[in-house]
Amino acid sequence: MSTTSQKHRDFVGEPMGDKPVTALSGIGDSLGKKLEDQGFDKAFVVLGQFLLLKKDTEMFTEWLKDASGANSRQAGSCAQCLKEWCDAFL
Amino acid sequence: MALRAEDPSQLSKSRLKSDLVAHNVALPPSKSRKEVYVELHLKHIERKTAADFSSDEEEQARHAKEEHPEVPDPGALTDDDLQAALLKRGVKVGPVVASTRALYEKKLLKLLQPDGHGQLNGADSGAGYSDSEGEERGGEGDDAESDCEEEKQTVQRSDQAPQQRRQLDMAVVDERTRTDQSLYYTPKASAHKTKTKLHQEPVEPTFKDMFAATESTPTGIYATQRRPIKGAAGRPVRYAYPDTPSSPSTLQRREVARRLVPVHIQLVVFLVVTCLLYFIYVCVEDNSWSPFLASLDNRNQGPDSEEGLLLQADTPALSGQE
Repeated sequence: MSTTSQKHRDFVGEPMGDKPVTALSGIGDSLGKKLEDQGFDKAFVVLGQFLLLKKDTEMFTEWLKDASGANSRQAGSCAQCLKEWCDAFL
Repeated sequence: MALRAEDPSQLSKSRLKSDLVAHNVALPPSKSRKEVYVELHLKHIERKTAADFSSDEEEQARHAKEEHPEVPDPGALTDDDLQAALLKRGVKVGPVVASTRALYEKKLLKLLQPDGHGQLNGADSGAGYSDSEGEERGGEGDDAESDCEEEKQTVQRSDQAPQQRRQLDMAVVDERTRTDQSLYYTPKASAHKTKTKLHQEPVEPTFKDMFAATESTPTGIYATQRRPIKGAAGRPVRYAYPDTPSSPSTLQRREVARRLVPVHIQLVVFLVVTCLLYFIYVCVEDNSWSPFLASLDNRNQGPDSEEGLLLQADTPALSGQE
């Protein structure tokens, strides 16, 4: 818990439903906009990509950096967020 | 930058030289005549003018083909072949679809490079990566969330060893890496997780059937053991024990409770009897004690006439009452 942000805890605490992509930990407004431009407009679409990569956080981090221009910290945070969500709900 | 469709002979010698250097062509000795430069320029750069992008790819393809005759350019592989090539190198790959294809192609390229010439190509790819990262970092600058420190870190890291950084077998240790977890993500079926769950596990026979089939999946995709969503997607919540078992103390309490009600009845009966006795006592007291005393004297004198005396005592009392 010490290294997770409030946004992370909010996301991982409940089913994501129709939350926007900016609800993901590490994804702010500008990164969210870039993802939406590519068609990843909802958090569950990004989850889909994460699952396609077989829930491999490193591959997902790399993909996210390429797709949205995120830095390592942001991409890693997002990957960790999705991984924990999957552990809890999938 | 678009190349002008000019006659190279019209360009200056220094310009030709710089063009050749830009296209990675070995320069002739500096004392050569301009014609030599023109020839080289025509030979190498002619290809560029034909079609910029396709020639780039051709060069790349030629590069790749020279290194690895067995595996051609990952861009030319089919989805299945790409997947097979990655699996051969021990990379666990998911389905190769539109969104994942680019990622897997890059990964295969990275894996191919250390196998081949190594440093030279590594440097090239490193330069390529640093270029792209430069672009990405430019995009990051707009990001409200990115810190300057983070950018410096990525710059330093990319400058030092792009190959090492990109090797995904190595753990990427950031300052914010969680130390309570392993850095390598291995999705194994972790049995201990299910034991530590706080809620009761519903008994689901289909759940176990799912796990029994995981070893025989053809694609190698397997699901890790997770707690299912209770009450969702038409899954009824069923617990192993229908009722909570009652402890012996509660059973005793229940038995005692059953007796409590008769106790009240017992009390009422007792009170009624007490009242009756008091009533009789009062009645006896109303009558004079003399016949009673007389009967007592008679009783002392002769025990034979006891019953008769008692009867006598009873009947005067009753007659007294009337």
